Amino acid sequence: MLKINNLTAAYGGIEALKGVSLEANEGEIVAVLGANGAGKSTLLKCISSMMKPTGGTIEFMGKPVSTKPHEVVASGLVQVPEARQIFAKLTVEENLRIGCCQRNDTAEIAKDFERVYTLFPRLQERKKQYGGLLSGGEQQMLAIGRGMMARPKLLMFDEPSLGLAPIIVNQIFEIIQTINKEGTTIMLIEQNANKALKICDRAYIMSVGNVVKSGTRDELLADPTLTEAYLG
Amino acid sequence: MLLQQIVTGLSVGGIYALLATGYSLIYSLLDFSNWAHGEVAMIGAYCAFIVVGTLQLPFGLAIVGGIVGAAVISYLNERVAYRRIRHNRSPNMFLMIAAMGLSTVYQNAAGLIFGSKFVTYPGIQVSSVQLGSVYVGVLDLISLICTAIILVILVYLINKTRFGLNVRAIASNSYTANLLGIKVDQCIALVFLLAGALAGAAGVMLGLKYNVYPTMGNIGLKAFIASVIGGLGSVPGAIVGAVLLGLIETFASGYINSGLRDLISFTLLIVLLLVRPTGLFGVDVQDKA
Repeated sequence: MLKINNLTAAYGGIEALKGVSLEANEGEIVAVLGANGAGKSTLLKCISSMMKPTGGTIEFMGKPVSTKPHEVVASGLVQVPEARQIFAKLTVEENLRIGCCQRNDTAEIAKDFERVYTLFPRLQERKKQYGGLLSGGEQQMLAIGRGMMARPKLLMFDEPSLGLAPIIVNQIFEIIQTINKEGTTIMLIEQNANKALKICDRAYIMSVGNVVKSGTRDELLADPTLTEAYLG
Repeated sequence: MLLQQIVTGLSVGGIYALLATGYSLIYSLLDFSNWAHGEVAMIGAYCAFIVVGTLQLPFGLAIVGGIVGAAVISYLNERVAYRRIRHNRSPNMFLMIAAMGLSTVYQNAAGLIFGSKFVTYPGIQVSSVQLGSVYVGVLDLISLICTAIILVILVYLINKTRFGLNVRAIASNSYTANLLGIKVDQCIALVFLLAGALAGAAGVMLGLKYNVYPTMGNIGLKAFIASVIGGLGSVPGAIVGAVLLGLIETFASGYINSGLRDLISFTLLIVLLLVRPTGLFGVDVQDKA
């Protein structure tokens, strides 16, 4: 579904991605794990065309991804960004509306609102409140809901567990699995490797701009060198 | 006397509001004060003058000409100058300096083309109507009503439409707005078009009320004060600030001394910046999490 081949990217002269190749297949949860500075967020920026790669290719559904972020979203590649990035001065409902800013199918949008509010009753209770007034966990739910409103084919999560209490993290991971079971392919970028490995089908381990290991969940869980070497 | 002052104050305030909302909208999106905005109004006033004075067409068309001319210039400012500066990721200060440059260029260009003398729209009758025991200028009344209608539409546009929602999202967090599929550049260009149209309407009204001349855009500074009073970046704030400023100025010149008018507005600005820098409506919703 998503096919990345030999991708390179740099900030100024400093290489952040040194030839990354990976794939996400339809229906799976694929995790990209690694410590701070491994290049995970840079990878997502390139996929969403928020940053121009210096080389390599990114293909989605057999076609190269657009260089315009709004066309990337329209093609079904959607991000739930790092640190949630809620629109603080917009209400919860308006935040969700931004998720479907390119859609015109009113009836289907109403269905997706239902779906999001069923998954996150908390958001329905607070739909008229400013996004900035929500707690961290609620904001993460809002960010996920906002991503769902775009009806993504592939939903990419950038560090969804960051800064959240463990009990909320468990909830969020359950929700990610639910969304996946409902038919959305998931790409999960995480530092919290133990949690992410448990729910994924396959994973890639990144370290300083390279993919250093990859495999199915069971293979990686059975690898004793993993945690020590790359995940810390 | 009092009613007359109020109508005059409101109509002046209304003109400030047409400009102040433009300042606020652009500030909210791009975090810079668009110092060329007053000149956009001036260009609108001259466009109307060309239509009614040079081409001798009806005044209705002159209004359209003023609005369209100003909107186009405002849009071009964004497309030619500001967008490049943004895409180069230059500091915001560059935007402000570019705006100052544009402002000077437009003032001087108008001086070269039209001369520095005052011109007036020909064939405009200045009459007044009796309201109760006082006479009120018809122009004031008409401009007041038009302004009120325009501002109601603007507030509706910003608060209730998809376009307005996108604009507010960009104002809140433009990176994420872009990431989630909002066409940020297109939205910004539309806002410049809209702000330019409002400035054009203001320019024509100013031309009617006073004269048309190359430095008339300096009134933009007053509108800027109005948007600071209301809280920079807030459209309703800009409207309230503008009306307040218009009333204060009119009362100051009517009851105290017209020479003190500007002194009072600028003192108000300085006091406000010291005491309540967020303005009347600048309630900041901070991100809690």
